[in-house]
Amino acid sequence: MSKQFTGVWAAYEYLDDFCGAVRELRGSGFQRLTTLAPCPRHEIDHALGNPQSRVPFFTLAGMFTGFTLAFTIMTFMSLEWIIPVSGKPIVSYPIMGPVLFELSVLFAVWFTVFGMVGLILNDLRKYVFPSSKAWKKYRRFTRDRFGVIVPCTQHDLEKVESILNKYQAEEVNREA
Amino acid sequence: MSNVTYASINDHILHSLKPPGKSWFASMAVILTMLGMGIFAFGYQIRHGLEGSGINNPIGWGVYITNFVFWVGIAHAGTLISAVLFLVRAPFRTSIYRAAEAMTVFAVMTAGLFPLIHIGRVWNFYFLIPYPNQRLLWVNFKSPLLWDVFAVNTYMSVSILFFLVGLVPDFAVIRDESKGLKRIFYGIVSLGFRGTNHEWVHYMRAYLLFAAIATPLVFSVHSIVSWDFAMSSIPGWHTTIFPPYFVAGAIFSGCAMVLTLMIPLRAIFPGFKDLMPMKDLEAMAKMILFTGFVVTYAYSIEFFIAYYSGARYERALFWFRPFGELKVFFFLMVFCNCVAPLPLWMKSIRTNIPALWVISIFINIGMWMERYNIVVTSLAHDFDPYAWGTYTFEWVEVWITIGSFGWFFMWFFIFVKIMPSMAVAELKEALVPPMRSAHHE
Repeated sequence: MSKQFTGVWAAYEYLDDFCGAVRELRGSGFQRLTTLAPCPRHEIDHALGNPQSRVPFFTLAGMFTGFTLAFTIMTFMSLEWIIPVSGKPIVSYPIMGPVLFELSVLFAVWFTVFGMVGLILNDLRKYVFPSSKAWKKYRRFTRDRFGVIVPCTQHDLEKVESILNKYQAEEVNREA
Repeated sequence: MSNVTYASINDHILHSLKPPGKSWFASMAVILTMLGMGIFAFGYQIRHGLEGSGINNPIGWGVYITNFVFWVGIAHAGTLISAVLFLVRAPFRTSIYRAAEAMTVFAVMTAGLFPLIHIGRVWNFYFLIPYPNQRLLWVNFKSPLLWDVFAVNTYMSVSILFFLVGLVPDFAVIRDESKGLKRIFYGIVSLGFRGTNHEWVHYMRAYLLFAAIATPLVFSVHSIVSWDFAMSSIPGWHTTIFPPYFVAGAIFSGCAMVLTLMIPLRAIFPGFKDLMPMKDLEAMAKMILFTGFVVTYAYSIEFFIAYYSGARYERALFWFRPFGELKVFFFLMVFCNCVAPLPLWMKSIRTNIPALWVISIFINIGMWMERYNIVVTSLAHDFDPYAWGTYTFEWVEVWITIGSFGWFFMWFFIFVKIMPSMAVAELKEALVPPMRSAHHE
């Protein structure tokens, strides 16, 4: 985050105002928005054009990893240390079910967590955040306010501010 | 929830995290005494072996395994409420699930202790973990006990992760509402979460996947626990009804424990009554009523099949349960699990807080008795009358059981003071958002 932030950030009290502003900003060509909200809302997703997450691929990869690992260790260990039980085959498939399932789940969950963290960090790295005192002191985005950060050039500052104000932003801060 | 706003949710939750008062410390003193009793008895058992317990031949599984199954059962309701009810979008879940999830984590932590206590030589517990050792020995994958090691450890891992992932946005809320050291502490545990769209999009998708993965896990874990019994050939254990019967029983006991914990929590913290309306507790009561019927059905069908199958050992055992020397436990079980929940048919009882709480306590006792019945009676009377035996639990077992409750409640009491006991972000999500125009998108 060595880069300096240039742009505008604003806080909104009402969700419909906020979504209107986000829509108009995107319509005016400001696509690299960051929104802040106290809870996930589908209205914000719609306004942002329904972004999708790639977390499920990690889950699937985790599941396959766990399944393969479970199958491999059970086969290997059964052959490595032979324990005959009631005349059952040494490598017996029906008994593998529970451990196959459990390890698939375990790995799927861990991959999901790491995938989620990795994707979030990867996305955040592409954005520059405001660094002014006013920004650091403002703590209501986890309480009851919706926020939007619009990075833009010096040239566009006026335009962005007018869009944000048009939707009755509670406060609009310019950082340049 | 008409008078609830985004801001008031934050305020109520922050209020619950204020430094604890006298009653908290008094309760904690009792809890730590209980835990101390358990630790003392466990120390005695390490020094003197299992002679302080009533475990004998043929009854090698006594109170410890009963406790293990009991606590794993308690753990079920948390994941059921947080995962299954999340997937089916049940509205009454929101206010309850955080505490239920905490209960799950602490109950699994308690359950996990019992196999270790039970084996006597606790320092050898790692023999069950498949790792390359010096003797080139590997574990036996054909044993349901080993499946249980995988099942319970996976369940513990997943429930702890699910719990912690859910907490991250709420820690961020507390960070932003506090100052000084507290802000630094919650800043670290919230991992820099801010609530941006880049975070929410991946977070919500991951959370949904968690719920989807945890759902089959809820059903698998107690099924596998039931196979510890059902895979053997002992009369009374060797039945195909065990997995669904155990899962229903686990949800039954877990929901009861949720009520046992949530009702005092709701009374102690002001504002929680707004966040957790009566209809949420009533919905839990209905779940109890339903699962109670499943359990009652399972009890009766076990008896019917014992009679109808013509298997004489099975029949003898099911005669022994209600009429043998352990009949007290059987009738306690039937009363607490089949009869005590019946008043919940009446709405006036379902919405009566003291009545709900008392019924939940009965169910907790009843479900412990159920596991005791299953474990002890079957081992006491198996095939050969010459090998029959009986069992009375001794002081070490009683003290360790008391200690396990101390251990569980200790974590829960710490939890309510350092973590938000309701999910802030999800409560907000369930509200109608602040809108300037009246219509909702």
